[in-house]
Amino acid sequence: MAAFTASDAQTLSPKADLLLPDYVKLQYAGGIGFMSAGVGYTFIKDRLDVTFFYGYIPAQLHTKTLHSVSLQFTAKLIKIPLSDKYQLLPFNFGWFIHHTMGNEYWIKLPAHYPSQYYWWSPGRTAGFFVGGELKTPWLRSKVPASGIALYARIGTRGLYLATKVGNSTLPVSEIIELGFGIALYR
Amino acid sequence: MTAAFGLLAFQACSDLFDYSPYLIDFDESNSNVNQKSIDKLKSKSATDTITIAFTGDTHNFFDELNDFVGKINSDSRIDFVVHVGDIADFGLPKQYLWANSYLSKLKVPYLVAIGNHDLVSNGKDAYEVMFGALDFSFVYQHIRFIFLNTNSREFAFNGQVPDIAWLAERLQPSGDFDKAVIICHVPSGDADFDPNLKNDFYATIGRNKNVIMLAHGHQHHHEVYFPMHDSIPFVNVYGGEHRMATIIKIINNQILIDNFAF
Repeated sequence: MAAFTASDAQTLSPKADLLLPDYVKLQYAGGIGFMSAGVGYTFIKDRLDVTFFYGYIPAQLHTKTLHSVSLQFTAKLIKIPLSDKYQLLPFNFGWFIHHTMGNEYWIKLPAHYPSQYYWWSPGRTAGFFVGGELKTPWLRSKVPASGIALYARIGTRGLYLATKVGNSTLPVSEIIELGFGIALYR
Repeated sequence: MTAAFGLLAFQACSDLFDYSPYLIDFDESNSNVNQKSIDKLKSKSATDTITIAFTGDTHNFFDELNDFVGKINSDSRIDFVVHVGDIADFGLPKQYLWANSYLSKLKVPYLVAIGNHDLVSNGKDAYEVMFGALDFSFVYQHIRFIFLNTNSREFAFNGQVPDIAWLAERLQPSGDFDKAVIICHVPSGDADFDPNLKNDFYATIGRNKNVIMLAHGHQHHHEVYFPMHDSIPFVNVYGGEHRMATIIKIINNQILIDNFAF
């Protein structure tokens, strides 16, 4: 059986080519799961990534298994070619919205509350981050992709920021979310 | 050597690798706090005066909570501290950890009641891991202290909250206590308290003539009032943002209520 390579992807029909995700990602932490798997598309001349993540936390790390989904927008503001094969993206800026599965993580205030009783929705939390990424040609010949990218990110989320405001005794490190991952670009 | 250093560095920042705002991974120092406090109290020697400091509704007022803890630690009269609920503004496990990082600096035992904010999202699970049962009681110096979950609205007014049958059983006279103090978050006169249980609640409190007071939070202001038209005072505890707290002394059948700034 022939290996599926990057050049094969380019021979797909135009419609399939349009639908096939531009990349897949696997991320550790970052506030959207213990491990998260993402697929996404690139827009505006490779300046904007839109990624859908499914996040998973096994019961061993929590009181029970947690599943979540996130939608993430990443602006890739600076690109520095390091050679013809390596590229550094030192300043990516991202925003995400995150939903944890389960009735207790409601989005619309349940009927037993008067309107405006709670101003936030536990089922819809958002955050932002800055990150960096290194695109490499590694494993290009082994995977159906143009190479592997490594990325890391540091951010926080709105509910943490809202808690930090006015509290000088709460260390900033408490509201930080770090994450890292790999991406396969086609 | 390098590997060991790398492992240390990873552990130092491993807390920064956040998996979810709803992750409950509390360590031993953040588990079963109320029972540990009760155990500590039981080892205290008996005195004829019990002095309790009350705070509550500290929500996101962590700097204020920090100052409260400092003030209590400089006051040797206090036997224990009661927090009347709402330690986690959004019910986030991380907010539970933040609040307990301040409270755990208290030199005296502290007990935390469940508040409505503490129950949002998976806050109930976080409370049960960090503090224990939502309804609990203990006897100290022949007084039964009863912590009652009165957050009816958070349970969609299901008729089970507050648990009147449990309260009635706790107030049944027995040899180990002769007086009782009730501590809860939402008071019976509030719209968040199940209106169908209000009369039963009052009847239960009054039945054995052993309840000497009730303390609650939720409304963020202080007053002492008598909703049952008898001698049982209801003490409304300040919200943390007011930088005011209440000290209650129980001397035999006398209750002295005083407030202090922090």
